[in-house]
Amino acid sequence: MLLSILKVLVFPGLLFLSVYSLVLEFVDRKVYARMQNRKGPPWYQPMADMLKLVGKKVIVPSNAQKFVFSALPTVSLAAVCAAFLCTPVWGETAITAYSGDLVAVLYLLTIPTLCHFLAGYNSHEVYSTIGAFRTLTQMFAYEVPLFMAFLSPAILAGTWSISGIAAFYHAHPLYALINLPAFFVSLLTSQSKLERTPFDAPEAETEIVGGALVEYSGRYLAFFRATAIAELAAVASVLAALFLPFFTGIAWVDFALYLVKTLVIVLMMVLLRATMARIRIDQTLRFFWSILTPIAMAQLILNLFLRGGLGL
Amino acid sequence: MGLLDKAIAWGEKKSPWIIHFNAGACNGCDIEVVDALTPQYDLERLGILQQGSPRHADVLVCTGAVTLQTRDRLKQIYDQMSTPKFVVAVGTCACTGGIFDSCYCVTGGIDTVIPVDAYIPGCAVRPEAIIDAVGKLLATLDAKEAGK
Repeated sequence: MLLSILKVLVFPGLLFLSVYSLVLEFVDRKVYARMQNRKGPPWYQPMADMLKLVGKKVIVPSNAQKFVFSALPTVSLAAVCAAFLCTPVWGETAITAYSGDLVAVLYLLTIPTLCHFLAGYNSHEVYSTIGAFRTLTQMFAYEVPLFMAFLSPAILAGTWSISGIAAFYHAHPLYALINLPAFFVSLLTSQSKLERTPFDAPEAETEIVGGALVEYSGRYLAFFRATAIAELAAVASVLAALFLPFFTGIAWVDFALYLVKTLVIVLMMVLLRATMARIRIDQTLRFFWSILTPIAMAQLILNLFLRGGLGL
Repeated sequence: MGLLDKAIAWGEKKSPWIIHFNAGACNGCDIEVVDALTPQYDLERLGILQQGSPRHADVLVCTGAVTLQTRDRLKQIYDQMSTPKFVVAVGTCACTGGIFDSCYCVTGGIDTVIPVDAYIPGCAVRPEAIIDAVGKLLATLDAKEAGK
């Protein structure tokens, strides 16, 4: 009992998540800077940003509903932390593995997006309202291909548990090659879920100031930033477990492999961010509905066929 | 001063986020501010990021003499920032009003409307001068913290 509480709170649970997400944000910003031929921020930069934001005064707009305004950052961070606990970090099995946790994780990762929308809508400000509605519009664009891409490996593995899927692909590593189109789709949809360039129209700071979070300041803004980087860590972990099936069976080697895999995924996301410019929200919609959704659907049908028709 | 306060004070020095406001400049100093943010000078190595929203920013970087049109807006943007906050006046016009001083439509320097923490003279200022001034402003933060 005590051991499992420690596992959830310290390693590989919440403390590890907070440290690792700070590391990932540093890697993200540093590599982005190096790709622009800059020196980039020092290693402690994400931590300094967090501490500074915690120390600043919180301003609540007078026409916003106070309880909702202050509850949203906590709710979104809690949802992301709960999602992270379902992903395998130390060894092949997650701390809280249960059948169907992949679906639960996908829904938990939707909560921060909805919190963004509510935060913008509740701020009653022009820019934040535009940002909120763009967030929601973009969610309707990427959610369908994201779900189909994340569920394709699950259908081939015949289980809805992330740890179970990882175990299946550990047993049959070559089957993972079938899921490569789904990996491509899920990388792009994750980029859009995390609202990073080229899909950052909802928070375009040169255009609509900062999107849904315009009115947020102080520790509430720090919570939303923490949500964003923890979501990056959680999404990278889920992608690593679903699409990169390299396990050895030895716990600490698997942990090292986990770090390598998530770093590779984050580097690919930085490459996307550094090499592309922001596209408009209508272009985002068209791209997701007319290009990525058919690819994801073809992958889903192929996996259903392989699973049911050939009985893999 | 507890450990958390010390950590927060350290974070304040290491991560000043700026917001840029043109109070009526001829655009010369604005070009130089944008210049300082380009990869050539790379302000992110000092933790400086440009923010769109005044709620997110710590340092208000103002250029130009304050005109009657922008006076109220400058005051409003300053009030929207959350404390602790700092103001940097970039360019001779922002410091004193410059050649526009005592013009019929000009109030004067930035400090006639809001309190200013650092003055950077020059017409137009060099990006190196902006970076140097921000560094010096951050170095004085300790003294400010003690005096508060």
